[in-house]
Amino acid sequence: MKNKWIRLIFAFGLVYAFSCEKELLTRADYADYTFASLDEKGGSWKPILLSGGNQISIPTPKDVSSDDYKNELAALKTAMANLTNDQKKAIEYWTNNPVLRWNEIALELAAKYNIIPQPNADGTYTLPDPANPSKYPQFPFAHPAYTSRALAYLSVAQFDGLVSAWHYKYTYNRKAPSDVDNSIIPAYAKTSLPAYPADGAVVAAASRDILTAMFPLEKEYLAAKATEHMSSLTWAGVNVKSDIDAGSTIGVEVAKVALARARTDGMSKAQTPKPISDSIKTAAFKRYGWQWDNMESPVRPVGLAPLFGKVKMWNVPNVEVVRPGPPPAPGSAEFNTAAKELQDIAKKITPEQRKIANWWSDGLGTYTPPGHWNRYVKDLLIEYKFNPLRSARTFAYLNMAVMDAGVSCWDTKYYYHYPRPIQAIPGFKTILGTPNFPAYTSGHSTFSAAASEVVAYVFPNEAQKARAWADEAAESRILGGIHYRFDAEVGITQGKNVAQYSLNRAKQDGAE
Amino acid sequence: MKNHFQYILVLAVLLSQLGAVFAQTPSDDLMMKKREICLAASYETGSWNQYWEGTRLRENANIGTFSREIIMPMFAYGITDKINLLAGVPYIATDATGGQLVGAKGLQDLGIAVKAELFNRQVGPGKVSFLTTAGFSFPVSNYLSDYMPFSIGLKTREVTLRGILQYRFDNGIYARGAFAHLWRGQSKVERDYYYNNGSYYSEWMDVPNALNYHGAVGVWLFNNSLKLEANYMAVHCLSGDDIRIYNAPQPTNKMSFDQVGFFGQYYFKGIKAIQGLGILAYYSKVIDGRNMGKFQSVGAGVTYQFKL
Repeated sequence: MKNKWIRLIFAFGLVYAFSCEKELLTRADYADYTFASLDEKGGSWKPILLSGGNQISIPTPKDVSSDDYKNELAALKTAMANLTNDQKKAIEYWTNNPVLRWNEIALELAAKYNIIPQPNADGTYTLPDPANPSKYPQFPFAHPAYTSRALAYLSVAQFDGLVSAWHYKYTYNRKAPSDVDNSIIPAYAKTSLPAYPADGAVVAAASRDILTAMFPLEKEYLAAKATEHMSSLTWAGVNVKSDIDAGSTIGVEVAKVALARARTDGMSKAQTPKPISDSIKTAAFKRYGWQWDNMESPVRPVGLAPLFGKVKMWNVPNVEVVRPGPPPAPGSAEFNTAAKELQDIAKKITPEQRKIANWWSDGLGTYTPPGHWNRYVKDLLIEYKFNPLRSARTFAYLNMAVMDAGVSCWDTKYYYHYPRPIQAIPGFKTILGTPNFPAYTSGHSTFSAAASEVVAYVFPNEAQKARAWADEAAESRILGGIHYRFDAEVGITQGKNVAQYSLNRAKQDGAE
Repeated sequence: MKNHFQYILVLAVLLSQLGAVFAQTPSDDLMMKKREICLAASYETGSWNQYWEGTRLRENANIGTFSREIIMPMFAYGITDKINLLAGVPYIATDATGGQLVGAKGLQDLGIAVKAELFNRQVGPGKVSFLTTAGFSFPVSNYLSDYMPFSIGLKTREVTLRGILQYRFDNGIYARGAFAHLWRGQSKVERDYYYNNGSYYSEWMDVPNALNYHGAVGVWLFNNSLKLEANYMAVHCLSGDDIRIYNAPQPTNKMSFDQVGFFGQYYFKGIKAIQGLGILAYYSKVIDGRNMGKFQSVGAGVTYQFKL
């Protein structure tokens, strides 16, 4: 009798507790797909950093009738006939649009490295040192500004590399292995895209080299990923060795060009020493009579990347042209209205408001707001079946616009040096952590508005939804108590303005 | 044996997804008679100013001293002399002296459990008893688990199966041990990406299962009116990740702790006007942990018991 009771309750409980267990995805759930278009003219599109698709040179490929090619084809067939389970998994993982996977890897690294340095025992702070990346605090601290830049270089290198690949594909028109030997059944949707050079290898090599520069401690992890990716092209039956070698050459060369720009774009000076940071603060105080202060314990002596606003922009001629006017002075009627709104929300936040605040928070330990938008765009690229070249183009314009938005926003933040609500409103507490930089304008709003404009341009059917998301992301910071409404509203306008510069360029790159 | 608030404390373990943080005697040998009811309420306050980040004990000035208050109404009922039904739901409020994050408060999880005495026999100079408890709990409010350390709970369903073994000498001295397995489900959070030693694209977080150990020695005095006990209790998660340096905890963490405590209770047996009334008080201190605050807590409660 009693045993039965116990068993019944226990069995019921187990079923109840686990009846709704969700499968937890660790990556985008997509398989290879047939591309909506091949963009045969893609080799003539205007790249971002290269002069054109022919700037990087690769060897003229051997003809498919040559012995060299036949040997390579035989090696491919042997590999395909002896696939291990791990090799089959690699084929499934990388798919025929690996641009998406490398973007996903970048987001994961951003989340892994988005950890803020802790104070030392004596109350001081040590900054990550790119010259000694493994020493705590590890380099990098992948905050939103850092991540926006890493993603921009990644996407630009992928895009330029693929323009180059497309140029040679349609210059040489070397067939895919399965078109040379019809006994070969490729693992991916069949396409008439010429095989030389391997677009997958371009993406693998360029992504590896850019991400290794951005996340130096991941060098070995990234090298292993790239090696597996390149090998998978043969295992999948889509590229022979010389396709892959030529693609790899383009990837390596285009990454060099991108990283040469990165070395001199001003990022290394963005995190200033305290005297410079103090002088920036003093200048703002002289100009406007207010200043932002870090409210942490112990106080962080320098805000996050005070000179990120001076980093070289991609498509805006100079940062001043997109700098908004000043915010209302603390204590003014307009300020008091905005402050009261925050206090009213905090007093009685609804479950819906709390969810919006958390949904867009993308704070420490996550892929940041730029990462969030990349993730959404990745899903759209899959939905719209974009080929790798057009995917890379979309990410390139997205991430240039987002990084430019970040540079502009940071310029504004440190130019006006405006206090956060927890500083300006006595006793105010929040449900989100307040970031270590001035309030005006809101980074989330600026990043998101810029991102949504690029989405609206590339996917007109998604424009309304994307802009609504950007508005919600902006609102989320008000609901979280860490931004005033004017930070968010001006940030949205600023992000839209900044994005236009990238979109004007996109409209003239030959892809329309 | 007419004291029943232990049920409550058993229940507190079943209910608390932090794993009986606020239960001083999570398991014992006591059973209510058929058709007896026990109503109880307790108040607990606890705090910490250090926490384990992984296995490293640290401070954080942006939290300062963290505090938690719990009000716990409970109910127990004797279905038969050998089978009891237990239920309860805590109201929890959290706060901190440092930083600018606001505390959380609300009703946590409703727990329901059945406890059965499977064995009770005189062996030598005392009695051996063996009992088992099966329970489950589920969140009853829209609190957020992904707001640690302020979250009031892990916001997931939990199933517990516990075995309790006690030897009680006829002179009132006893020793008891209990072992439980806690199966936890997933917790829905308010974002669809998080990092748990890798990317997760989901609104759900896996909350690790755990084992719960308990040991106690004590004595009943004054004709079974006063009970004094020293106890040890531990919850060890079976999986989970560690809090990353200076990062916030999250429900996927491997949260474990060991604590020691004292417990006392008194029944007003001789006074007819307050027949059925009892009081209790306890203290506990976490002595080791992982991804948990180093809590010290005190609690007190009243119980009232009657027959239908």
